[in-house]
Amino acid sequence: MGQTALVSASQPTVAHEALVADLAAALAPDRVRTGAVELDLYGRDASVLRGSAAVACFPLDTDEVAAAVRIARRHGRPFVARGSGTGLAGGAVPVGDPVVIVTTKMDRILEVDVDERVAWVQPGVVNLDLTRALARHGLHFAPDPSSQQACTIGGNVANNSGGPHCLAYGVTSAHVLAVEVVLPDGEVTVLGGLDPEPPGLDLRGAFVGSEGTLGIATRIAVRLTPDPPAVATLLLDFPTVEAAAETVSGIIADGLLPAALEMMDQPITRAAEEFAHAGYPTDAAAVLLVELDGLPAGLADAVERVGRIGRSHGARTVRVAADDAERALLWKGRKAAFGAVARVAPNYYLHDTVVPRTRLVEVLREVYAIAERHGLAVMNVFHAGDGNLHPLLLFDARTPGVMDRVHAAGEEIVRVSIAAGGVLSGEHGIGLEKRDLMPLLFSPVDLDAQARLREAFDPDGVANPTKVLPAGSRCGDLQSVPEGVWV
Amino acid sequence: MHLGVDDDELATCVSCGLCLPHCPTYRVTGEEALSPRGRVAAMRQVQWEGRPADPSFVRSLATCVQCRGCETACPSGVPFGRLIEPARAALAAGPAPPPWPLRVGLGLLPRHRLLLAASSLLAVAQRLRLLPRGAARRLGLPDRLPVRRPRLRPSGTGEDPTRDVWLFTGCVMDAWMRDVHRDVQRVVEAAGGRVALPGPGAACCGALALHAGLEDDARALAHRTMAALPGEAPILVDSAGCGAALRDYGRLLGTPEAAAFAARVRDVHEWLADRVDRLAAAAGSRGDRAGRPRVAVQDPCHLRHVQRAHGAVRVVLAPFADLVELDDEGLCCGAGGAYAVVEPELAGAVRDRKLAAIARSGAPVVASANPGCALHLAAAGVDVVHPCQVVARALAGAGPVSTPPAAARS
Amino acid sequence: MTDPVAAFAAEVGPPEAGAVVAVGGRTEWDVGGPLDPDVEVREVRAPAGIVAVEAADMTVRVRAGTTVDELAAALAEVGQAVALPSRPGATVGGVLAVGRSDVRRLGWGPVRDAVLQVRYVSADGTVVAAGGPTVKNVSGFDLCRLMVGSLGTLGLLAEVVLRTRPAPAASRWVAGEVDPAALLRRLHRPSAVLWDGTTTWALLEGHPADVEDQARLAGLPDAPGPPPLPPHRWSVRPAEVYRLAAAGGLGAFVAEVGVGVVHASVPPPPRAVDPAVVRLHERTKALFDPTNRLAPGRSPLAGTRLAAAEGGG
Repeated sequence: MGQTALVSASQPTVAHEALVADLAAALAPDRVRTGAVELDLYGRDASVLRGSAAVACFPLDTDEVAAAVRIARRHGRPFVARGSGTGLAGGAVPVGDPVVIVTTKMDRILEVDVDERVAWVQPGVVNLDLTRALARHGLHFAPDPSSQQACTIGGNVANNSGGPHCLAYGVTSAHVLAVEVVLPDGEVTVLGGLDPEPPGLDLRGAFVGSEGTLGIATRIAVRLTPDPPAVATLLLDFPTVEAAAETVSGIIADGLLPAALEMMDQPITRAAEEFAHAGYPTDAAAVLLVELDGLPAGLADAVERVGRIGRSHGARTVRVAADDAERALLWKGRKAAFGAVARVAPNYYLHDTVVPRTRLVEVLREVYAIAERHGLAVMNVFHAGDGNLHPLLLFDARTPGVMDRVHAAGEEIVRVSIAAGGVLSGEHGIGLEKRDLMPLLFSPVDLDAQARLREAFDPDGVANPTKVLPAGSRCGDLQSVPEGVWV
Repeated sequence: MHLGVDDDELATCVSCGLCLPHCPTYRVTGEEALSPRGRVAAMRQVQWEGRPADPSFVRSLATCVQCRGCETACPSGVPFGRLIEPARAALAAGPAPPPWPLRVGLGLLPRHRLLLAASSLLAVAQRLRLLPRGAARRLGLPDRLPVRRPRLRPSGTGEDPTRDVWLFTGCVMDAWMRDVHRDVQRVVEAAGGRVALPGPGAACCGALALHAGLEDDARALAHRTMAALPGEAPILVDSAGCGAALRDYGRLLGTPEAAAFAARVRDVHEWLADRVDRLAAAAGSRGDRAGRPRVAVQDPCHLRHVQRAHGAVRVVLAPFADLVELDDEGLCCGAGGAYAVVEPELAGAVRDRKLAAIARSGAPVVASANPGCALHLAAAGVDVVHPCQVVARALAGAGPVSTPPAAARS
Repeated sequence: MTDPVAAFAAEVGPPEAGAVVAVGGRTEWDVGGPLDPDVEVREVRAPAGIVAVEAADMTVRVRAGTTVDELAAALAEVGQAVALPSRPGATVGGVLAVGRSDVRRLGWGPVRDAVLQVRYVSADGTVVAAGGPTVKNVSGFDLCRLMVGSLGTLGLLAEVVLRTRPAPAASRWVAGEVDPAALLRRLHRPSAVLWDGTTTWALLEGHPADVEDQARLAGLPDAPGPPPLPPHRWSVRPAEVYRLAAAGGLGAFVAEVGVGVVHASVPPPPRAVDPAVVRLHERTKALFDPTNRLAPGRSPLAGTRLAAAEGGG
């Protein structure tokens, strides 16, 4: 019901049957799916958008991905790569009845080099599985999006995923050394390298975050980060949202670089507490979850400074997790916060904008005002240290006309963020959701430059078409408005 | 088609996907249709959008182990068990009835004498090598069925009125693993409980019928079981699957009597956890550190995700064993009642993950509080015991656990 | 007063205005090969000046013609620093166009990760913006990383927003004759570990007490600073450094341990590049600079060879 959708289910035709037969011959018959109910599942991701796939297939290795791409092209179909489908911007929602290439069966960690701190993985490896597999070496994969228990590394590469700990450690792009990709013409090559300065342009950097529009990653060399020698996790609670936001600015301005700096307002704190029982103060107007790491002296100093800055802005209590179990519990509530919202309302719309950290207070104030004007409840849980806002608009999709209000409020939030010097998305990406808002941030000339990069990789526009760039971004662009998809 | 699923409950899923890694069938296939989120979306298509229940839909629902690991993982609180049960019932009544061998097997469970006789017959056949091991495993049978079973007697003698707890004995477990019941009874007695045993009416809780979508059969069995366990005394259950089913009678039958009955049901470890000091005292020096067995704890889904009583198992075991935790976050072993029989390939793949976790743990013995899990793992060569057997051996001064019970020996 | 970036764009002019090359401090002028001698190439200079030090946001907006040293001095006033290599006269735009990281890359990360937003003058002579001023951003394609290391062949950097970091409270070089790999394993995130085949240097930065501890852990005395770096630059897998050193093909060298950059007296052999990657370069160049007016003759792939030639000698 949350899906404001419609489906243009592909009709079984001779051409379609030939496509399916070719895929079955190249992969295996039981890894090519056309059942109507199953196929519809590959028309969605974790967003409220819905499209339709012509066929879904499950390759096991690079050669099979390349074969699937070539077959799609031969049959005049676009293709869309998909991992776990936890994306929130519709990046993996198929438009134009493409071949959906699902990478979840490509889930092997191929090689771990502990000395060089690098691992080659297949794109379907789950983010948290990789970190777990590395634990005995004292290493981890730093990007840790809230969906890390479910999302794949391939999806992380496509979206240049972040997560709480990218404040200090950087987003996915900083942790990907090389990517083996199947290019839109079906050729296989490697972008980047395991050496620090591979020759040529940084095409690896261009590929990471391109949302599946430049090709499909089939093997990924990720940088492994040593576990910190010591970690402190703090929970600070505040009587006002402003006090919490000012503390965030205060921490950054004081020259501290926490490993993570997360903020939750009262409604989301309550919802998360109900699920996780982390001991979050449900009477606080806002809480900050601060993680610091490093060597002992610097860490102790930072803990002391964060506590002092918090108290100077009116923090009521500063709780320092006593052990790993308490740390895990504090994080459990934060990581499950989005899902826990369903305990409050049947549907939510999660936004993702970034503003300069110095503008957090005013933008947050605006967010609350916008929600109120549209008669919507709003909750805020976000990566405050990055200025990465995640306002959640709550609603019941069965209420007539509510989606219009939700979308209107969402667009206003984006506009307010950009007016404050911010950007459209911090980590969810553009996908379909924000594609048509791109002109708010970029001029036609800017968009044209981005479209040129895409054209260099995919002159025919067959890789995840209609995503990221609005129609008409490139001069003479004939990219059509997608049919069968409602935003 | 209408699946009989509550629309509001069906609406609770927000499609975040956090359930995916906690679903055993998604874990081994990576297929959305074999994930909780996919199954919910599939149910919505059929119930809300009128899409036909095509083979891909039937497969999606039929492959669910019903471990309910997704429920504990779901931040939105989607009551997945309450969605899948009526949907499976609708399929069983309509396009996808359970296969006849399963129905015959399920029909046998509540007919306890017949079950015991058939079991003994099969045991003899095994001894005479008339029943190949492969065939036995396909039927979900242990490799070595007991020919004779120890006799269970209520605590004390005669018509002693002071028996204060029931021990639910059930169907398959009583036939194949009665020695577990015997050990459980010893442990409960050592903790100060006086055990009453139900009559033949309590021969089957109905869980397997319910899983197969045979709701009416399950209700009839529930009525019979309640009648066989009268009074106010707590009903202790040493099979996690049965315990979960008995605790759900209130919802299944929808009567106050059933709700009151369900409230009396406790997993035996929960009851023992409150009395663990007494147990430790009873074991005396025999519970010493030296010679304690190293035991990996396998959490049956119906204990961990449904009854959420897996903590109690650890409390009960802690004084008697060095516990080793598996690193797979309690993912299902693939047994799932009759699942291993109906979906052997998936069940095997799911079990392989569990076996790998057990191997990583390095523990020689696995404690499981559910007969289905025990059989499924034992069939792959794992030494499995019931947690209460570890305690019983410590009480008896038998030292480390090194031999699995007859039923679970491979 | 007109916007200096717009003025720079006007100076570059439309394609009819002919070939141009952006000049910074000429500290790494040879990278990417010589300009096409048959084409008249006009030299242009990006505007200079620090637009805004956003100390509380830990970012800085700076014009590409500003020297790295001037930027570093301005940031030092607010207790911050930026991960760009410093060479006398080197400009921000020049350093980014070349894309080579500082010897502190091990601790500070590569230069490309410091760039949040770029404004560059395209081959059309218009100002293009990419990225955004915030520390986190996935809005659209990452042209910032494409520009870093592109040697001014795709666009001319005019103004950038960089991410800054707190300047370390203590910073100390230590050196001695120890096994560099073992030292790297023992220390927690040193900012640099250098090795010349005999002596190992480490740059320790952070809280004074931690630096003290790490120095003790390293068991090495203080050193005045890093050694002088030989002129040629190799890029190899970090573990490859030891094999190369043993083989003796580097001449005199200083290796960035854990990174894989080796400064050597012997130039590196040409590197093999996959034909598909070459084609992507050609298409990118053709789309960004259709008339080949931006630094003609220069190429990010200079000094490489086609991988297909492998085996053929």
